Amino acid sequence: MAKAILYDATKCTACRGCQAACKQWNELEAEETKNTGSYENPADLSFRTWLKMRFNEVENGNGLAWLFTRRACMHCTDAGCVQVCPTKAVDKTAEGIVFIDREKCTGCGYCVEACPFDVPRLDGSRLTGKAKMFKCILCKDRVDNGLEPACVKTCPPGALDFGDRDEMVARAQARVDELGGDARLYGEKELDGLHVLYVVNHPLEDHKLPASPEVSPSITLWQDILQPVGYGVVGVVAGGLLLNYMVARARMVRQKEGK
Amino acid sequence: MTHHEVEKYSAGARWFHWTITIAALVLAVTGLFLYVPWFSSVAEGGTTRVIHRIAAVIFVAAPLLFLLVKPGRSLHFVKEIFTWGKDDLAWLKAAPDYYFGGDEKKMPPQGDMNTGQKLWAVVAFFSALGFIFTGIFMWFLKDTLPAEVFDWMVIVHDLCFIVGGAMLLVHLYLGAIHPRMTESLKSMIKGKVSAEYAQSHHGKWYKEVVGRESAAKTAPGGQGQKPAH
Repeated sequence: MAKAILYDATKCTACRGCQAACKQWNELEAEETKNTGSYENPADLSFRTWLKMRFNEVENGNGLAWLFTRRACMHCTDAGCVQVCPTKAVDKTAEGIVFIDREKCTGCGYCVEACPFDVPRLDGSRLTGKAKMFKCILCKDRVDNGLEPACVKTCPPGALDFGDRDEMVARAQARVDELGGDARLYGEKELDGLHVLYVVNHPLEDHKLPASPEVSPSITLWQDILQPVGYGVVGVVAGGLLLNYMVARARMVRQKEGK
Repeated sequence: MTHHEVEKYSAGARWFHWTITIAALVLAVTGLFLYVPWFSSVAEGGTTRVIHRIAAVIFVAAPLLFLLVKPGRSLHFVKEIFTWGKDDLAWLKAAPDYYFGGDEKKMPPQGDMNTGQKLWAVVAFFSALGFIFTGIFMWFLKDTLPAEVFDWMVIVHDLCFIVGGAMLLVHLYLGAIHPRMTESLKSMIKGKVSAEYAQSHHGKWYKEVVGRESAAKTAPGGQGQKPAH
């Protein structure tokens, strides 16, 4: 049964309790950051910051809007990271959780390039290439034990909700109807359905959410085309060589017998 | 003259050949683990990627070192593999009859590298350039490249693997397995081939060697036979 987090940006106060809860539950170290003149902190996701709030100041007709957007893995159904992972270290559960098995992870970073939401982060050495990928796994360990994710549990204004995806879509729809105006639901259809749904009442670009996220075709080109082509070429060459060996060998034997 | 042998490859050339062979095979195998899903469990954990990089350094360093130590021989090699003439066309036409049937009549006399060897060298040369160019981007510029460009680097790397890898199979086969290439592998190990083999497989080159030898013998203080280059 598909599960989903519902994030209601119209209820969010950007207290960042979710950020702290995420770090605490997943035992992620704090990192030293710089003051960039915004409450937004840290500046970006990292291998030890799997969830953060984005602060956007947007000027529109009615003055200044201060918008908060949740930044973490969206747990896509059509997940680019899962498609490109050569060792299937990144995979999906039946609930739609996109998780990572770091024992299998080779650190190739193809998932980083494939993600339309710029979420996966590598921790490792550039020189040797030894690295591991880190990102939100929707508190898979908690969900497997019937608990809600840590961010949802902690959210003081109730901007985060968690449950069966159908139920979350219905609640989001009801909330959108209640809000009216520009309010809309994001994530129901995007990439065949995200498992993190958003209710927003400002334009998507003001939230810096991609209007039509997609998995770039070039990332699967090598799997869809180059792999079969490679097998075909090597198969034909190997077959040709084997045939050549048998024919050439037989001719040599016959020549010797003829003498 | 039946046991007369001529030197085909100098010790330096042989060392270079086998260094780059081992590096290329290690690169091919460790790369294959990411390319073929069946083998992907071997790549788990990422150790093969570290080995791939060590082999890559050797793969780049060996030709550079050879170029530094033997610049003349290196340039001659590059010039030779890109010099193609009428004999090469005739060789390509006659090759199937020879490699399948052993019919040698139509094969034009060849230099120290025959047309097939030159063809392989050209493919190896360009796929190596492709591997190294895209590999440097994939190794060091991952963060700076746009995702789209990175994807194309991987695709070109893969294409080089398909073309270069297929030709490598042919090279391994002709060098070590084909029933008529009796001295090819030996020559790359010991450096020498028999006069008969040289005459029938590399006629043009053999004439040069014999010419040089007799010139050296008649010249005062001549040192006898010389390597091809």
